[in-house]
Amino acid sequence: MSAPAAAAPPVRRGPPPLAKFGVPLALAAMLVAGTVLIPGFASAANLTTILLHASINAIIALGMTFVIVTAGIDLSVGSIVALAGVLAARTLTSTALLGAVGPVGAALLAIAVGLGVGAALGLLNGGAVAYLRVAPFIVTLATMTIARGTARLVTGGVPVGYPDPGDAGYAAKVAALDVLHGLGGGRLPVPGLPGGFPVPALVMLLVIAVGAFVLTRTRFGRYVYAVGGNEEASRLSGVPVPFVKLAVYTIAGACSGLAAVLLVGQLRSGGPDAGTFYELNAIAAAVIGGTSLLGGTGTAWGTLIGALLLGVLNNALDLLGVQAFWQEIAKGGIILLAVLFDVWVTRTSAAAATKS
Amino acid sequence: MALLALRDVTKRYPGVTALDAVDLEVEAGTVHALVGENGAGKSTLLKILAGAERADAGTIALDGAVLRLTSPRDGLRCGITVIYQEFALVPSLGADANIFLGMEPMRRGLLDGEAARRDAARALGELGATFDPSTPVSQLSTAECQLVELARALVRDARVIALDEPTAALSTRETAHLFVQIRRMAERGLAVIFVSHRLEEVRAVSSTVTVLRDGRRVWTGPTTQVDEPALIRHMVGRDVEYERLAAQGGRGAGAGGTSDVVALEVRGLARRPRFADVSFTVRRGEIVGLAGLVGAGRTELARCLAGADRWDAGEVLLGGRPFRPRTPGDAIARGLAYVPEDRKTQGLILGLLVRENATLPSLRRFTRFGTLRLRAERDAAAAQIAAVELAPGTLERPAGTLSGGNQQKVVLAKWLLADADVLVVDEPTRGVDVGAKIEIHRQLRVLADRGKAVLVISSELPEVLALADRILVMRAGRISATFAAAEATPERVLAAALPEGHAA
Repeated sequence: MSAPAAAAPPVRRGPPPLAKFGVPLALAAMLVAGTVLIPGFASAANLTTILLHASINAIIALGMTFVIVTAGIDLSVGSIVALAGVLAARTLTSTALLGAVGPVGAALLAIAVGLGVGAALGLLNGGAVAYLRVAPFIVTLATMTIARGTARLVTGGVPVGYPDPGDAGYAAKVAALDVLHGLGGGRLPVPGLPGGFPVPALVMLLVIAVGAFVLTRTRFGRYVYAVGGNEEASRLSGVPVPFVKLAVYTIAGACSGLAAVLLVGQLRSGGPDAGTFYELNAIAAAVIGGTSLLGGTGTAWGTLIGALLLGVLNNALDLLGVQAFWQEIAKGGIILLAVLFDVWVTRTSAAAATKS
Repeated sequence: MALLALRDVTKRYPGVTALDAVDLEVEAGTVHALVGENGAGKSTLLKILAGAERADAGTIALDGAVLRLTSPRDGLRCGITVIYQEFALVPSLGADANIFLGMEPMRRGLLDGEAARRDAARALGELGATFDPSTPVSQLSTAECQLVELARALVRDARVIALDEPTAALSTRETAHLFVQIRRMAERGLAVIFVSHRLEEVRAVSSTVTVLRDGRRVWTGPTTQVDEPALIRHMVGRDVEYERLAAQGGRGAGAGGTSDVVALEVRGLARRPRFADVSFTVRRGEIVGLAGLVGAGRTELARCLAGADRWDAGEVLLGGRPFRPRTPGDAIARGLAYVPEDRKTQGLILGLLVRENATLPSLRRFTRFGTLRLRAERDAAAAQIAAVELAPGTLERPAGTLSGGNQQKVVLAKWLLADADVLVVDEPTRGVDVGAKIEIHRQLRVLADRGKAVLVISSELPEVLALADRILVMRAGRISATFAAAEATPERVLAAALPEGHAA
């Protein structure tokens, strides 16, 4: 009965080979098609633009991946981007602060505020999910509206940041915004790459790499998969389930805070309406990248691929001059395809499993 | 001719044959009791009868016509109603809505609530129910829910009604009322199948008894021709006997026999209403069997020891020191491991690899500064997998792709790796084939011989008898008997496990 399974190939984290390569192949196909069909698509400038535009979503989607792998969901990330963004922008352009620590100091503080606000809101989400046992959908729905409302309340509904020319601290504020713009909109000079490599894309790659390491090479990462795979079995195995949940929502919040800082830097302002629908884009990137909403599966690199695929799609449709409304419909279709693909893979691998 | 006739009904699950060519004839107008130990195949038989599971072979005939049952809907349409212990009722809906669920009376394309209420009231009235038919089921008692189920069978013009342990949660008065209703249904010409562990009730209400054992029908006859000791003998008599795995000398401390070092001491433990007043000890090198019927409180006790649930009275000493785990993680850190009964929902994470499952409780050992030492993890997991005789190739496969017996070996490997001093093992061989069973038994004995204290919960009497140095029997949340291995017989253990008033 214990038939040796010598022939069985080692399987990584759930998805069989086709699932593993299906989405990267789709991305590659889109890149090839874009190169052939769209003039200017394959230029270095355009490709770095795609990376830049995908970076904010990819960073948020990484945090979302941690949450979804535990079989949770975080609807509040977009609103957290707004609230963390306006508070970071406020810190950055505070006259008193600029006087005390200068533009670089203010920028560093703004980064800390953005990350801190994001992590704190994530901690609240995680606390309610892990210890009060409220459904993640409800908790984060509440945080979503509360954070959005707070962002509008503290700003009066208008963006914070770029000063009026008549502002007494005009020069200092612009200097501070420029410092943060180095992070959110700057480009690193790379030989042979006109315009350089966008800093946010670099941050994105760094964040994804760290996320991948944490998920695959740390005990905590193993616990994240375990909790999402089977919470009760994990608990009985001694996994600190509440802590793991608290941590993943905090990570999602911190990722949103980081995205907020980059966005403020990029736009030189923090808007209370920023980040609208970012939660849906993040969920889409994670799901397209192979994360199952049922929990237990998903990878950081998959999520990056998912975010890039959405970025390429947007960019290609832009270049083709497709109307924005059609772009939305196309995006929905892609998400649907990804989910159908996931269902199909799950069914076929389940069938394969019962045969063995 | 019998109203209901089952022929050669066979059902296999991966690694186990739940029903093996079972015949059963139930006459109209009679109550036919179905008895057997846990795992004898009663529940499987009911599920097949209901259409909830499909038999691998055999036929079911009603009035001589062979039925094709592919879903519970088919079963109901044919006039077969199975009433499970955990009712098939929607708690938030009223009794009337539940009674007509799936066959709602309609008028001009809309629900006819008036007719539903009226007909439900009539059916419930016939059954002697006194509550308002529109009461939400969540507000009804167990006995009242049962009447709702029976009323549902009546309005559907059922011809066969099967009740699975209907009296398990009823008071004496409620049981008496139920029996009156059961007899009335039989008088109306229905065939009633009555599944129970309570042999006294079987004798009181049924006219025919069928005994199932290990998925086979071993005896059928008129209730008047058999007494309780004879029924118990039919239930426990067995074709497959396990080899008794005697304790080896030189274990833990001292040669031969069990060591004197108490590893686990439980004093007056209670989690009401599930169990109370439970006291026992497990010594190093000893395997203690915990026998009893499903629902006797054994798993609840084990979950408390494991830190998964709290107890509300009593104390536990682990290695002589007070022990009150707040989480399973606490218990594991203190050296008590709980191997849960359901490997698919509690024992394993089916989507994780075998290696990842095996090392989950002991992952701390394979971590440095939070980072996994993958090579050390792999080596340890591979060694343990080999020790439980799983093929090396399984190490990197998702646990969900293994057979039941092999999954159970993974569970075992996982807890061997955790290296706990005390193991609480809940139904270690449920649903695995005989080969895997023997291997798992051997592993547990090896553990005890290495000085571990092992508490084995098992509903399978031969397993407990073959494995344990000492046997505790639980009944209705209390320890009802303790036997040394030498003095335990299947009859004595079963008699202590069956509900009170049935001294064999």
